[in-house]
Amino acid sequence: MSNVLRRREIILFLTGIVGGLNLFEYFFAVKEVAAVASTIRTWVVVISAFALGLGIITAFRVHISHVKRRTKGQWPFSIWLMGFFVLLTLIGLWDTKFIVYDWTFKNVYVALSTTLYAITGFYIFSAAYRAFRARNIEAAILIISGVLILLRNAPIGEAIWKGFPVLGEWVLMKGQVGGMRTLTFVAAVGLVAFGIRTLLGMERGYYGGE
Amino acid sequence: MAYEPYLEWREATTEENEMSKNIWSKMAEVDRRVLYWVMFIALAIPFISPIGLPVPVTETTKAVYDKIDTLGPKNIALFSIAGGVSAWPEIAPSMVAIMRHLVKREVKIVAWGFFVDQDITMDMIISNVPELKTKYKYGEDWVYMGYIAGAETAVAQLASDVHAVFKADKYGTPIEKLPLMQRVKTAKDIDLVLTVDTGSYILYYIRHWNVGKGVAVAEIGIAMQADMIVYYPVNLVGVMIGVRGGAEYEKLIGRLAEGTVRMDAINVSHILFIIAIALANIGYVMVRRMKK
Amino acid sequence: MPYPTDPLLLSGAWASVILTLMVYSYVLFKETPLFRFAEHTYISASLAISVIVSYGTLEKNALIPLSKGDLSYLIPVILGVLLYTLPFRQVRWVSRYPLAFVVGVGTGLAMRGAVHAQMVAQVLAAITLPKAPQPIDWFNFFFSLIAFLTSTSYFIFTREHVGLLKIPTKIGRYMIMLALGSYFGNTILFRMAMLSGRVEEILKVFKIIPWP
Repeated sequence: MSNVLRRREIILFLTGIVGGLNLFEYFFAVKEVAAVASTIRTWVVVISAFALGLGIITAFRVHISHVKRRTKGQWPFSIWLMGFFVLLTLIGLWDTKFIVYDWTFKNVYVALSTTLYAITGFYIFSAAYRAFRARNIEAAILIISGVLILLRNAPIGEAIWKGFPVLGEWVLMKGQVGGMRTLTFVAAVGLVAFGIRTLLGMERGYYGGE
Repeated sequence: MAYEPYLEWREATTEENEMSKNIWSKMAEVDRRVLYWVMFIALAIPFISPIGLPVPVTETTKAVYDKIDTLGPKNIALFSIAGGVSAWPEIAPSMVAIMRHLVKREVKIVAWGFFVDQDITMDMIISNVPELKTKYKYGEDWVYMGYIAGAETAVAQLASDVHAVFKADKYGTPIEKLPLMQRVKTAKDIDLVLTVDTGSYILYYIRHWNVGKGVAVAEIGIAMQADMIVYYPVNLVGVMIGVRGGAEYEKLIGRLAEGTVRMDAINVSHILFIIAIALANIGYVMVRRMKK
Repeated sequence: MPYPTDPLLLSGAWASVILTLMVYSYVLFKETPLFRFAEHTYISASLAISVIVSYGTLEKNALIPLSKGDLSYLIPVILGVLLYTLPFRQVRWVSRYPLAFVVGVGTGLAMRGAVHAQMVAQVLAAITLPKAPQPIDWFNFFFSLIAFLTSTSYFIFTREHVGLLKIPTKIGRYMIMLALGSYFGNTILFRMAMLSGRVEEILKVFKIIPWP
């Protein structure tokens, strides 16, 4: 029985049916199909909520192996990571309004979240100084366009010269639209092509491809 | 390095020694930590000594304001949080300003989101817009449904059947006991979607709420979402771009706050970037000339 | 608003700034154990919040209705639990079933929305004539249209970009660079806003600027 259930044809068929139902519902107004597609979408929303927990298992496997191997410079942090996670989770599952949980998330999590996200600001400045050279026409256009947007975004651009925000606004609202529209369009073409391949069972990466 | 690394050690030529002493080459090799400190200090200066330049309002932000100005107590707006606390410095000013405007217009508000830390964001908004607790009655004037997983699937399913996805609000109150949610069953019951976005959720709303159901959608996005301009004005009512959009909206509602304060730092940092790019290119040209 | 005196608020503010400086010690100085500690603290906090919030959502929207007799949630709950076989090689095949649902629905939804919003609507927007046009509107219309056509020609990979395709694809590259330059400029706004937020927090807590 499990040999039959393991067959990849069943998975590919299921994927195709489920995706096809959603496509059919969009293009043809058949109430029964719409009802089934809606039910399946609700199922997927529930399944997606379970998916968040998968990251925990993977993270724990990595960090437990660090602790077992006593990886130099890493294993004490792995113990801290797992211990702090267990403590916070237990407290949070008991009561999210509890002072320790509330304080930790409003101060520790928010601070670290914004800080780690902001760290790339330093790197982009360093990259602009070291790598942003107009070696050819394409690079020059990229730099000029970027600078005009900078002068449009910062009110100081208008203080330097009234024309800068006008030019920057033109680049944002008109100049870049053609190129961005293309990137949107070709991304959609790629998405549709990939989607058709997936629904027809030609793409197998999502389930491991065995 | 100004020159390619050598595989074998040898004495540098006179010409190479001259080039390496050149100021442009030295500038190109400056330790990146110096650059980081320069940026760090430069960002601090405008907070200590504010510049206070006015922020002109742009068309796409004004469009969002004008749309909300047409709404009133009979309308329902959806406030969708698709951004995490990590993006607060960019999107918090816009979120607070928009919420203040909605409350001023007495628009009914349904809020939900797709990020696990959005409860902290909602708490932040409530603390900055206390009218949500003092003027509005929870359950009748506004509701917060909480987090839902599923990305595009959730957005699409919410468009066709909200009650199939949410059985209760964030606080556990069954959806049948929320009077406002008896008016909201599908996307067509919403008059305006305001999506606070750091990624692809605006596309999901355009695909399934705007194109699918004809609902007006506006974006409150990070600056990198400015490429959504391609959907304006056909699919999007308006686009608020990052902290600049927040500062513009604060000016429109007549209540300057965090976004406006932050624009001073934006001014300094952007000028610093332009100087850095200019120096990089001047140095590149000078080094190339010297090589020739 | 005066500088906070409430111990909870004050301790929170100082913890926030100390952690920020721990993280920035990596860029401003070098990688230190302080940075590693802050990094691991963040990872564990974000994993914890994922578990707590997703459990709360599941409880409200699936488990409670299931416990009240709504058996329509039995199948997705079982499929969701089966997803946890993914990390284990011997039983990994079981997780393909819930994945089939997720991927199938996601693909179908993405395709149906993309065709109209990202293809048809974009082409229509590119070819729609301006209303009440001024000369600048005509210039913008033709500029956008030519930019769209030439950039799209750049993505034709079935023919070499020579002969008739040479000039349009070259112009197309320039138009794409114009768009990417704009994206770069906006990226800088984003990064600088994020960084300035943290700098402001540090200055507030150290009493260099007043508390707002």
